[in-house]
Parts: sequence; structure tokens; C-alpha cells
Amino acid sequence: MARRSGIRNVSALLLCALLAACAAPTPQVVTVQETVVVTTEKVVEVEKVVQQTVEVPLAPAAAPKGGRLVMGTDKFPSGLDPHVNSSWDVMRILVSVYDPLLWQDPETGEILPGLAESWEISNDGLHYTLRLRKDVSFHDGTPFNAEAAKFSLDRILAPETQSQYAKAFLGPTDSIDAVDEYTLRINLKTPSAYLLSGLSQTYVAMVSPAAVEKWGSEYQLHQVGTGPFIMKEYVPKDHVTLTRNEKYSWAPSIFEHQGPAYLEEIEWHFLPEEATRLPALETGDVQLVISLPPIDATRLTTLADFSLLTSRLRVTQPLEFFINTQKPPTDDIRVRQALNYATDQQSILNSVLRGLYLPAHGPLAGTTFEYSDQVEGMYPYDVEKAKALLDDAGWKAGSDGMRFKDGQPLKLLMSSQTWNFIPPIAQTLQGQLRQVGIDVEVEQMTFPAQMTAGAEGTKNVLVNGGNGFTAADALDGYFGSWSADGGFAWSKMKDPDLDKLLVEGAQTLDPEKRKAIYAEAQVRIMEQALIIPIYDYTILVGVNNKVMGLSWDISNVAPLAYDAYIAAD
Amino acid sequence: MKKFIIRRLLSFIPVLLGVVTISFMLIRLLPGDPAALMLAKSGASAEQVAALRAELGLDQPLLTQYLQYLGDVVRGDLGVSIWERRPVLTMIAEQLPSTLELAVAALLISIVVGTTLGILSAVYRDSWIDRLSVIVAVLGVSMPMFWSGLLLVLLFGATLRWLPVIGQGSIKHLILPAATMGFACVGTITRTVRSSMVEILQAEYITTARAKGLSSTLVLFRHGMPNALIPVITLVGLQFGWLLGGSVVIETVFSRKGLGDLLVQAILWKDLPVVQGGVLVTAVMYLVINLVIDLLYGILDPRIHYN
Repeated sequence: MARRSGIRNVSALLLCALLAACAAPTPQVVTVQETVVVTTEKVVEVEKVVQQTVEVPLAPAAAPKGGRLVMGTDKFPSGLDPHVNSSWDVMRILVSVYDPLLWQDPETGEILPGLAESWEISNDGLHYTLRLRKDVSFHDGTPFNAEAAKFSLDRILAPETQSQYAKAFLGPTDSIDAVDEYTLRINLKTPSAYLLSGLSQTYVAMVSPAAVEKWGSEYQLHQVGTGPFIMKEYVPKDHVTLTRNEKYSWAPSIFEHQGPAYLEEIEWHFLPEEATRLPALETGDVQLVISLPPIDATRLTTLADFSLLTSRLRVTQPLEFFINTQKPPTDDIRVRQALNYATDQQSILNSVLRGLYLPAHGPLAGTTFEYSDQVEGMYPYDVEKAKALLDDAGWKAGSDGMRFKDGQPLKLLMSSQTWNFIPPIAQTLQGQLRQVGIDVEVEQMTFPAQMTAGAEGTKNVLVNGGNGFTAADALDGYFGSWSADGGFAWSKMKDPDLDKLLVEGAQTLDPEKRKAIYAEAQVRIMEQALIIPIYDYTILVGVNNKVMGLSWDISNVAPLAYDAYIAAD
Repeated sequence: MKKFIIRRLLSFIPVLLGVVTISFMLIRLLPGDPAALMLAKSGASAEQVAALRAELGLDQPLLTQYLQYLGDVVRGDLGVSIWERRPVLTMIAEQLPSTLELAVAALLISIVVGTTLGILSAVYRDSWIDRLSVIVAVLGVSMPMFWSGLLLVLLFGATLRWLPVIGQGSIKHLILPAATMGFACVGTITRTVRSSMVEILQAEYITTARAKGLSSTLVLFRHGMPNALIPVITLVGLQFGWLLGGSVVIETVFSRKGLGDLLVQAILWKDLPVVQGGVLVTAVMYLVINLVIDLLYGILDPRIHYN
């Protein structure tokens, strides 16, 4: 795969376009110019966005676009109610069923109108007034208005909903008012930099009040939104079928066309066993499959009828190992820093992930708006430096190279998970740390067991990652002292300066000021060596070349099928 | 007979009480706080976790929770899944048919193949077919199902393109998963049928039948087989439980819905009501199947009476 290194950073959108270009078989094709926004290869600076023009051949104009798209996601979701559940499948599947109040431009992150046409923020940042579209109705005919929007947001906030995720996107929301039929006001307790992006999440779905009342606890099997596709059938652990909403005429500007979607039907399957994903794509059981294992991704590139999308996810938390600052010997900052110098990230990425993933350098993924490149180069792979730090901390190497202090061996307890590629990563890391004389005992734990270990501080090194869509999502709950006892801040560092930065950052609406505050926070976290960052999340997607026009949401987690169609034979 | 059934049904009560109690305690002994798990993705603060824990009623004393649950179970209410917020009974009813379908199909395959191989290798002892059946038995028992399942996926799905590799809804979808599971059970049945058949073929009534001048086919099918199959019934009872447990592997490999995955996910993510309900329903099934098998003995074997 010669294009491998180049493909990495290119957005899925460009890939689709390129693939379409490669796949055009007939001589008599109509060629149109299409502008595609491309994210450039990140070198040293923050990513820049450039315009690039690509020729995209389309099928002959006479052929109507349509078809049925079958997609496979990576596990059985435990619950698919957007207001309640937290699985990424909520986004993937339901992004086609619900329209959010606002959209985010998939490339720039700019907030765009959705079901809300316009919005105003009061000077104190505590009141958001949204003017809603007047021409929208739910799939069941219920009109969409401020009452319906208030109903949806109230449902998320109600304690009895036991919202696992959606509530977090509403941040410090205090109350919701339906000012008039098409004006909605959201009142906050404190200012929030992330309310607007929160409102663009599929989790903050606008649900039909009539349908929620009708179905009660079975609502998730009979969901009713305003989106381009209607939920026809959901058989838990089997499949979800969506059909086209013929009345749809309120597509946001991020899409290419208006009116109903092209696809007549979308079907989702769940493929929890990663080894069956590529066979399912090859046999035609699915036309798109999410989360291919790297070894199959490499094989996929040799198959003519399929393409590999290397989607760099815009989730803000990288895969990272949290280092416990309260449990010896990692209570010593020199030991924590030595762990970072002794970690050869690139060799982990090359061996375990076949070079398909990009390294992480700090607590925020490189795709995060507030990411600061100041963290890059803070911990180059440097065995000698690691050894020197350990020597300095009093851990002297014995004859076998393993280190001791006062007769005690330098031993760390590490927890490992079964998900993602964590077992081989943990083992590789264990081997690398051994090189500088650190004995690491890896224990394979269930996630609940690890959470308890993290909260109680019984391990030195614990793994987590893949959470959140904003800087605050990936930092507040994972580094704030309010989460150090009983939450998810497994480094257990109680640092008032860091706390202050985190609180300030989340409340600062000015993007540049916020960036500066969060840059300080990122550097602070790495100076204290609270984590060993490993990689930024990437998902390998296999797709049949007949699938055209598919795009991805801003996080690159959810495929947007509105413009998609299946090419005729 | 009626008395026997009633007695057996009454004996279910203490067993089920034990099952309810043990599953209630065991899932709570495992480390991990369900409320914290549910909020893992939103990186919630300790305070938010505590609020959800209270909302779920998990801050109540254990005994209060237990008595509450026991009362609900007696009324036939298995509670609501804390993750999906749907009634546990509905969720189980949704998944159970798929698991039963798979278990029954796998059993049928293993019984047909297993008894055929078993009888053949008993009749033609030490021949090539006998040796083949040993190989099949060893492979079936020792190959992990996720691996043999994947091999079948690669051969019949990806390479030959004869069968779909994921999903369900038709006989075609059922063939690969049922064959994978059935194959795993064939060995035990083959070996059991073979040894009981070998024994029976040396029994005096077989010699008598042969002496009467009956054809060897008739002796085999009329006099030998019915007796040789009785141990198979016992095995079926035992294996059914194993199949229910083993279904999780197959369900994952072939992307099938089913009880196995529901339960495993519930245990992993500490969905307490689903674990408790699932264990209870599985226990009831196991008890009923064993009762049915005991009754079948009485019908099939005239030497057994329940009085």
C-alpha cells in the first residue's frame, strides 16, 4: 500500500471522491468539478485547511440515484435511546433519523443552522435564544416547534431518564423555556464554551413527544425524529432498518442536495467479532464495515472492489495510560517522566497497528481545536534520559539491569483491557520499560474492575481513551481534582492551578483565549507526566466501491448517508 | 407419575431461591460500580456518579435491595435493565428464541451425525470408520468454537460464497453456526453411542435375536439402537445446558442475536437486573429440560417407573 502514509490524514470525504474517480468504469461518463475540502498532512504546526479541486466523474445523468445500503458496526449496542445511551452506535445509526438543532461543519467545525435557523447568546453567556425552523415535522406528523424541542431537552435533563451521555452535552444547562411557538431559550448556570457544539450532537436528539408518550420504555424500538430516514425496524442485537423520509425538505447546508435522500433504505448490522468483518464485506453481506482489524485492513487494500478509509477520529481523548501520582513509586515525578522517555511510541504503532495510527503527544488528540503542539517533543524516546532520571530518583540498576532502591525492586502495577489493541500495546510497553530496568506487572482486568482500581488507586498505570468531542470532555473529568476520588481522574493529582485552567477553559467563549488557556493545561499535564499518551483514535473502514457520495460527521465516527447512493451495475 | 411431577416441580422452589440469591450476591461481589460505568463516557465527577447511584436505588442497604428484588420476582417482575431501561423479561423474550433455535439445530446435527458415526464405529469396530470417528470426536471436542467457526466463515463465506456469514432469518443463515456448535458436540455423542452399542451388541438378547434368524439390519435397528440411544438422552440434557452457555461465542462470531451475548454484556457492564433475570430464566430452562428427560426415560425404558 504505497499511499499509506499519505492517506492517513486525508479526510474520508476526499477518499470517497478519489475512490469514485478510480472506480469509474464506463467511458461515457459526465465529469463535473467538485470542490472538496482537504485536511493537509500535519507536519509541525496545527493542521491547516486548504481547498483542493478534484474531478469526480458521476454516473450518467439519466440514471436515478438510489439503492439500499447495508452497513456493519462493531458491536451490539446496549441500548439505542439517544437521550439515555452512550454507545457510538447512537451516532452512527441515528444521525440519519434525527436532525440536531445545530450542525457542525464536518471540516471546519463551524456551527451551522440545523433545526434552529439562528441563535443569539446573551452578553453574560447564560442565555441562548434559538429561532427554530417553521417547516419541519416529525415522521409521525407531529409538528416540530419550541414545545417539542423543550420536551426533548427536558427529557435529557430529567433525573429519571438516567442519561448516560446526552446530559453531559448540555453542560451547565439550568432550564429550558419555550418563549413562543418557534423560539427556544436555554438558560445556563455558568457560561459554556461548548453548548453549541453539544446541541449539534445526535445524542441531543429532537424526539417526537407523541411517540415518546406512546411507546414509553419501548421508545428506542420505535424512534421518531425529523431526519432524512425513518426508523422502520429495530431488532435488538440483530439489525436496524431505516427507510427514506419522502417529506424531508430541510437538509442542512453541509450536504450536496436538497429534498429526500437518494437511498431508499439503510440497514445496519452488528459485527462484534472483528475477524468476520472483512469476510462480511467480501461476501456482500454488508457494503461498509466499521473497525477492521489492521491486519485485515492491509489485505483489503489488495482487493479490487473495495477501498479502505483510514478515518482519523475527532474524538478528543487519545489512548493514554494514566499514571497514579499517589501510589509509590509513581508518586515521584522523575519516575513518571522516565516512563514517558522510555516509551517508544512509534515502534508500538508500527508493530501493533501496522503504522496506520498516528501518535498522541498529550491529553488531547491532534484533531482537537484546542490542541497545542507545545506538548510535541516534550518526551522524545530517550532511554539514556529515562535511566538518568531513575538514577537520580535513587533507583539503581542491579547486575541484571533491573532497578532497586533500599532493597526494593522498581515494580509497577499496570492494568490492561481486552478492548481495542490494548493487550499487545500493554505487553510491548512492558517490554520497553524493562529495557530501562522497570519491572511491570500487567493485569488483564475487566473495565469495571479497572474503574474500581482507578478510583481506589491500587494500580500505578491504567489505560483509558476514546472519550469526548471537545477539549473539556477529554480533560475535566480526567484531570480535575473533583474526579480524583471516585471519578475518572486516575492520576489522582489534585492541582489547584490545573483545576483553575480547566474551569476557565470550559467557560471561555473566545476561541483564541480558550486555546491559550488549554495550551497551558496540556503543558501542565505533561510536565507533571500524568499520562503516557499512545495514539490518536483512528478507525479503519472497509467500503464497497459501489457506495457513492457518503460523507462523515465532524467526529468521523458516523457516516452521513443523506447524499449517498449505490452506483448502478 | 403425576405425584412424581408435582414433587419435582415443588423441588424447583428451593433451587430457584438459591439461584436468585446467589446470582444477586455474585454480581454484586464483582468489582465495579454500575453507576460509574454508565457515566464512564462522559467522564462524570464523583458527585454526578453518586446522584445516578441514588436514582438507581443502589445506595440502599443490600438487604433492602434483595428483599425488594425477591418480592418483585415472586410477582413475576424481573425489573428493568439499567442500561437499556427496558423490562428484563421483554429483553430476554426477544433474545431467547434465537438461542433456542441455534441450540436445537446444533443438537439435531450432533445427534444425527453422532449416533450414525457411533453405531457405524461400533458395528465396524477397529475399521477405518472407527478411527475416523475418533479423529472427528477429538477435533470436535478440542477445537475452540470461535476458531472452527471462523474457519467455516472463511471457507463457505469468503472463499466459496455459498453461505452468508452474518445475521439470521433463514435456514441458510443457520447452517454455519449450527454446524459449528453441532460439531463440538458430535464427539461426545459418538463415543457414548459407540461404547453403549458395543456393549449391547454383546448382550444376550441380541444373540437371541440373531439366533432367531433375524437379518443383521433388523437386529441392529429394532433391538440394538433403541437401547443404545438411552444414554444419548442423558447427554442431550447435559449438552443443552452447555449449548446455552456456549452460544455466546457463536452469537459473536456470526453476529446473531441471542441470550448468550445479552448475559455476557450484562455481566461485563454490571447490568444487575439483566444478569439476575437471565440466570433465573436459564436455570428454569435447565430444570424443565432435565425434568422432561427424566420423564422420557420412563417412556423409552420400560425398566424405569416413577411411582
